[in-house]
Amino acid sequence: MLEVRNLSFSYERPVLNDVSFSLGSGELLAVLGPNGSGKSTLLKLIAGIETPGAGVVSMEGRDVSSLSRREAARAIGYVAQESIVRFPLSVLEFVLQGRFAHGRLLGFESEEDERETIRALELTETVEFAERKITELSGGERQRVMIARAIASRPRLLVLDEPVANLDIAHQVKVFQLVKSLVADEAMTAVVVTHELNLAAEFASLAMLLKQGSLVAFASTAEVMHEDLLRSVFEAELHVDRNPITGAPRITPLIQSAPISARS
Amino acid sequence: MARARLTPRRMVIMLGTLLVVLIVLLLAACTIGSEHIPLADVARTVGAKLFGSQNEVSRENSIIILAIRLPRVLLAIVVGAALSSAGAAYQALLRNPLADPYILGVSTGAAVGAITATLVVGSSPLIRPAAGFSGALVTIAVVYALGEGRRGSISERLVLAGVIVNALLSSVVIFMVTAAAGTRQRSVLSWLIGDLGAEWTLIPFVAVLVGIGIAVIYANARSLNLMMTGEEEASALGVEVRRAKIAVYLAASLITGAAVAVSGVIGFVGLIIPHAVRLAGGSDNRLVIPASALAGGAFLLISDTVARTIIAPRELHIGVITAFIGAPFFIVLLRRTT
Repeated sequence: MLEVRNLSFSYERPVLNDVSFSLGSGELLAVLGPNGSGKSTLLKLIAGIETPGAGVVSMEGRDVSSLSRREAARAIGYVAQESIVRFPLSVLEFVLQGRFAHGRLLGFESEEDERETIRALELTETVEFAERKITELSGGERQRVMIARAIASRPRLLVLDEPVANLDIAHQVKVFQLVKSLVADEAMTAVVVTHELNLAAEFASLAMLLKQGSLVAFASTAEVMHEDLLRSVFEAELHVDRNPITGAPRITPLIQSAPISARS
Repeated sequence: MARARLTPRRMVIMLGTLLVVLIVLLLAACTIGSEHIPLADVARTVGAKLFGSQNEVSRENSIIILAIRLPRVLLAIVVGAALSSAGAAYQALLRNPLADPYILGVSTGAAVGAITATLVVGSSPLIRPAAGFSGALVTIAVVYALGEGRRGSISERLVLAGVIVNALLSSVVIFMVTAAAGTRQRSVLSWLIGDLGAEWTLIPFVAVLVGIGIAVIYANARSLNLMMTGEEEASALGVEVRRAKIAVYLAASLITGAAVAVSGVIGFVGLIIPHAVRLAGGSDNRLVIPASALAGGAFLLISDTVARTIIAPRELHIGVITAFIGAPFFIVLLRRTT
C-alpha cells in the first residue's frame, strides 16, 4: 500500500538519504532511531506535507506529491508531534476539522461528517469530553483527540509522530493499544515514530531503524530488536532479552555503576 | 452536542442580533451631537433618502443628518468592520490571540504608505488606500520575519517585533508629517491615534475595498479554522495552506490599508472585538469573521460618538477611547495566554 523509493530530503543539510522500503496493508510499523535521524521528516514526506528532494513516495500506486492536498488527506491521516492550540475550540469542533477534505470549502458540515466524527470520537474513547475545550484537556486526552481528528476522514494510512512523548506509562500503553486496534479492527495501516523501544517491541509488527538519515534496518520487530543493531544505532549500552510474560523483545539500558568514590 | 459547535441556527441568531443592534446604534448616533435631533427625524430622513419618499424634516436637520452625522457614522462602521475582521484574520493566520493590526505595527505601516502617497502624488484620494495597502503588506512581512522563531512564530516574540516596528514607523510618521507642515497634510495626532472627522468622499470606495477584503477572508474561514491549530496539520487535513495564507494576508492588509488611509491609526479594535465574539459564539471563523465585522462597526461607532461628545464642544481623537478600553484588555489577554 505504501512504497517509498530512493527518498532523499534536505533542509540546510541532508536529512534523509536514499531511503527505500515498502509496506503492506494491515501492518503497524515503528520508526526508531536517535534524535535527528530523520524520523519526523520521513513521516512528513509520507503524509505529503513536504515534497521529496529526490525519490518517490507512492500510496496505493499513486505518487503522493502529485495528489491534491484534499486527495492526500482522504487517504492519509497525520498526527503531528505536538500541537499547541491557543484558541478555545471544543473537542467536537476540533475533530470535525478532520472532515475538511470531504466537505465543501464553504458552508456547514453534513450529517455524514457528523456521523463520522462521532464514530472517530467513539473509537478513541473521547466522546465523553466532546463538549469540553481542547485547551482544558490533559496530555493523554489531547493525544487521543488528535488521533480522532486524523481518523475522522477515514484514511487508510495513519502516520503518528511521537504520539506518546510526554505521556505517563498508562497513557502510553493506551495510545499504542488504540493504534493497534485501529490497525486490527478498522483495516488501517500505521506508521509510528517513537522513542519507546519496549512499547514498539510489544505493539509493532514491523520496525525500522534510521541513523543519520539512512535506513539501517527494516524487518519484523523481533529481527530489528537485535542487541548489536540497537547498540550501534543508538550508541548506547543495551541488553536485549525476552519479556517473560509477553515474549516480545525487552530492551534494558545498561547503566554503568558509579565509581565507589562518588558514592556517599 | 450542538452546543459545542457552530450551527447555522446559532450563526443566524448571532449575526441577526448584531445587525439589528448596529442599525439601532446607527440611528441613535445620528441623534447625538451639539444639536439634538429626534430619533423620528433621523429615521424619516434616512428612510426618505433610501426610498425616495417625501421628507418632512426641517431642512436644517436633514442637512446635519445627511451631510455631517450619517457620513461620519458610516465611516466609523466601515473602519470598525475593517480593523476587527483584519484582527480576526491575523490572529488565525499567526495562531496568536494577541495579534491585531495596531499591535503588529501594520496600521502604522499603512499610515506611512498613505502619507507617502499624499506627499508624492498629491491628495489624489484613490491612490491613498492603495498606498496604505502596500505599507500594511510590507510591514506584516517584516514583522513576521522578525518574529518568527526556529519553530514557527512564537507569540511573545511576534508581539515584541510588532511593538518595535510600530515605534519606528510612528517616528517615521511624525517626521514625514512635521517636515511636510504647510502642505495639506493632516495633523500628526490624526494619523497616530485616529480621526474620523474627515474624508467622507472616500466612504463608498473604502467600503467596497473593505467588503471585498472581508469576503476573501470569509471564503477562507474553514481553512483558517484548521490553520489556527497548526499549518502542518492543516496541510495534512487537506488545506492548501500556501494559497489560503497568501489570500488572507493580502485581504487583511488591503482592508487595514484602506481603513487607515481614511481614519489614521486606531488601536486595539482588532484585538478586543474578535475576542468578545469568540467568548460569545465560539472560535469558528465562519462566525468570527462576519460577527467581528458587525460588532467592530458597532464598537467603533460607540467609541466615536463618545469621542465627539464627551468634552463637547471639543472632540477627542477616537484612538484615545479605544486605547483606554483596549490596553487593559490586552494585559488581561497577555496574562491568560502566556
